[in-house]
Order: sequence, then C-alpha cells, then structure tokens
Amino acid sequence: MASVGEIKAQCPAESIEALSKEAETLKAKLEEERQKLNDVALSTVAERLEVINYLNIKPRRVLKGHQAKVLCSDWSPDKRHIVSSSQDGKMIIWDAFTTNKEHAVTMPTTWVMACAYAPSGNLVACGGLDNKVTVYTLSLEEDVSTKKKTVGTHTSYMSCCIFPNSDQQILTGSGDSTCALWDVESGQLLQNFHGHTGDVMALDLAPSETGNTFVSGSCDRMVLIWDMRTGQCVQSFEGHQSDINSVKFHPSGDAVATGSDDSTCRLFDLRADKEVAIYSKESIIFGVNSVDFSVSGRLLFAGYNDYTVNVWDSLKCVRVTLLYGHDNRVSCLQVSPDGTALSTGSWDCTLRVWA
Amino acid sequence: MDMMISNLQQQRQVTEQLRREAAIKRISVSQAVLEIMKYITEHEQEDCLLVGFSSQKANPFREKNSCTLL
Repeated sequence: MASVGEIKAQCPAESIEALSKEAETLKAKLEEERQKLNDVALSTVAERLEVINYLNIKPRRVLKGHQAKVLCSDWSPDKRHIVSSSQDGKMIIWDAFTTNKEHAVTMPTTWVMACAYAPSGNLVACGGLDNKVTVYTLSLEEDVSTKKKTVGTHTSYMSCCIFPNSDQQILTGSGDSTCALWDVESGQLLQNFHGHTGDVMALDLAPSETGNTFVSGSCDRMVLIWDMRTGQCVQSFEGHQSDINSVKFHPSGDAVATGSDDSTCRLFDLRADKEVAIYSKESIIFGVNSVDFSVSGRLLFAGYNDYTVNVWDSLKCVRVTLLYGHDNRVSCLQVSPDGTALSTGSWDCTLRVWA
Repeated sequence: MDMMISNLQQQRQVTEQLRREAAIKRISVSQAVLEIMKYITEHEQEDCLLVGFSSQKANPFREKNSCTLL
C-alpha cells in the first residue's frame, strides 16, 4: 500500500497565494501517486477470461400509459413493481409481470425528473421542476395522491432521489449543485453536501449493510464520493469531457461506473483511486443517460440518446450486444433487485422490460 | 475586504480537500482489478442476465403462453 508522503505542515500561511501554491503541489503529487500505481490495464488482466458470446436478453414487456417522455423509473424491492415518472407530470406504479397500472398520481408540476421506491415498498418519492421531493404512501384503499408529504426543498430542480437504507430518510441531488439528506417524518434537513460546481445529475448508494457512503455525478464532470454522516467529500474523480448523467456502484462496492454526454461510460476504482476503464467506440457519438450493472457486475448496461442500450463486458471493455426497441432516447434503465430483468424508460413514452 | 475573506475561505476549503485526498491510501491497479474480477467470478452463476435460465420456465418474464378454450 502506498500513501502520499506527509506534506510538510507549514505554519498556517493565511495568504491565498500560499494556499493555491500548496493546492497545485498537492494536485501534482496526487497525479504522480496515482500513476505510480497504474501498473496494468483492466482489459489486459481480463484477457484470460472467456469471451461472452451470447446473451439471451429479449424484450418481454412494453409498459404503455405515459403521454410524454419517461424521465425516471425505479424497481420495487418486491422485484415485480416499477414506479415511473414523466414529463407529463404523472407518476405511475406498474405491475411489470402483468403490465397493469396499479396507481397513477398527477403531480402539480411537469417534468417529474426523479422517482424512487422506499426499501419497504410502501412509499415512493418523486420530484423535479418543483424543486421539492414529495413522499407518497401507497395504499390499495385510498387514492395515493391524498397521502403525500413534502419532505424537502432545494433552490433548483431535483434531479435524483434515493432512500438510503430505510424509509425514514431520503437523499436528493439537485440542479443547485448540492445533495441533501432529509428526515422523511419531520422534513428536517439532516446533512448538506457541498462540493460540486454544477448541477448534480445522479446519485447512488454504496452497496453495504451499513451504507454510509454515496456517489454523485454532476454537470461539472466530477464524480464525488461522500461520507453521509460528516457531509464530507472523501474522494473525487475526473476524466469525463462533459456532463455526467448517471453514476452506479459496482456490486462489489469497490468501483463506480458513470455515463456521460461525452458518449463514454467509465469505471473508477475507489481503492486504486483512479479511472480504470473507458467503454467507448468511435461509432458511438451520442450521450449516455443511464447505466447499471448486472448482479455480478460483469455486464454494464448503458442507455443512449441514439435510442439504444449498449451492453458492455465491464472487464474486457468490449461491447457484447445492442438492445433495440425504443423509438426515442433511452432516459433511464435499471436492473431488477434480483437481477432477473432490465427495465428501460424512454422519451418514446414507454417502458420496456427485458429478460 | 469581504470578497478577499470569502476567496480565502474558498481557497482554504479547496486546499484542505486536496490534503484529505492526498492522504488516502491507494492500492495498485493490478491488485484492485484482481479483486473486482474475483467478486465477479464468484457471483457469475447468480447473474441471470449473464448466464440465462436453465429453462425459460424459470424466467419470471417469460412469454406467457396463450390458452385456447376447446
């Protein structure tokens, strides 16, 4: 294991010049240390693995009902229901097995950019241009729109939300460049996360039982890793050449994958503290909106503005296959909780389930 | 004067963040990659989208066969 040698602690030099000089030195040292440990390419190590020849993934269901672009979706922990939100201001809960719509909620705003299921499967949260995150209680007896609560408000649009570990808290990312952790019951702001200098577009939680870390991706092209308790940024990655639209932890918890408007997906390893793979092809020139891993982490699914889903071999860094079916941009995609299926949502107003 | 103080604060935050990041312990890419590969190979058999189903009957999203009433 290597660590950067102690930077001689100078007497607190209060001048901006001294601090920026130190910052420059630190940045150079960081690059140097990361490069020293860059001893091999991921695809080289993966050479000894067998090539993935064939994937039996076919379109199995089409969920029709939204009247405008589908912007976001989330699988229920029961592996059967999906919540989706759309530019038409509606949030719909689907039974993906039967394609029936179980609930439809009209939001007082259009462009509902984010939606998420709570771990119990009994609550869903959504929000967007209204700058708020609103939590709805799902009930078979009453109309879902009556049992709602506004939990938090940002100073700009909410782009993503996720329940970390329990129904009691919710984490949000916003166009105001911050992330925030809220208590669902009281609506209180528990923690603020400042560090991005551009709109936060995506969030994901580290896959661990204790789950105290999360990752965020932003229009400032940075990937930041945060400690939920202290509010501090513990690691940062750069490399993308344009807005980052999606971030997802590898199931091992040791790496994060990203998708960007620069038409590439990348893999950043947390312990090597650097980018270890780029998933790109010269023929792919459209932006990536959403990425997700299969259960083992071997496959990386990515949804693009050219209406397709590219399936990448995350280790060999080659594309395995393409999934065609949508008639417009793929805006969101997600592997189901038990890994049996992939759901995709699109500007063509539909969602599709592949298995 | 106020501008100077907030610029100073900003620069201090940036430099402190870099100090924290510089202090992180790193491992080599070869080691990191081997551990990711180990995780993947250990979980490959559970990955339905990768290895498929032993029979399509096990696929919860398989095509539903239509029944005809005789």
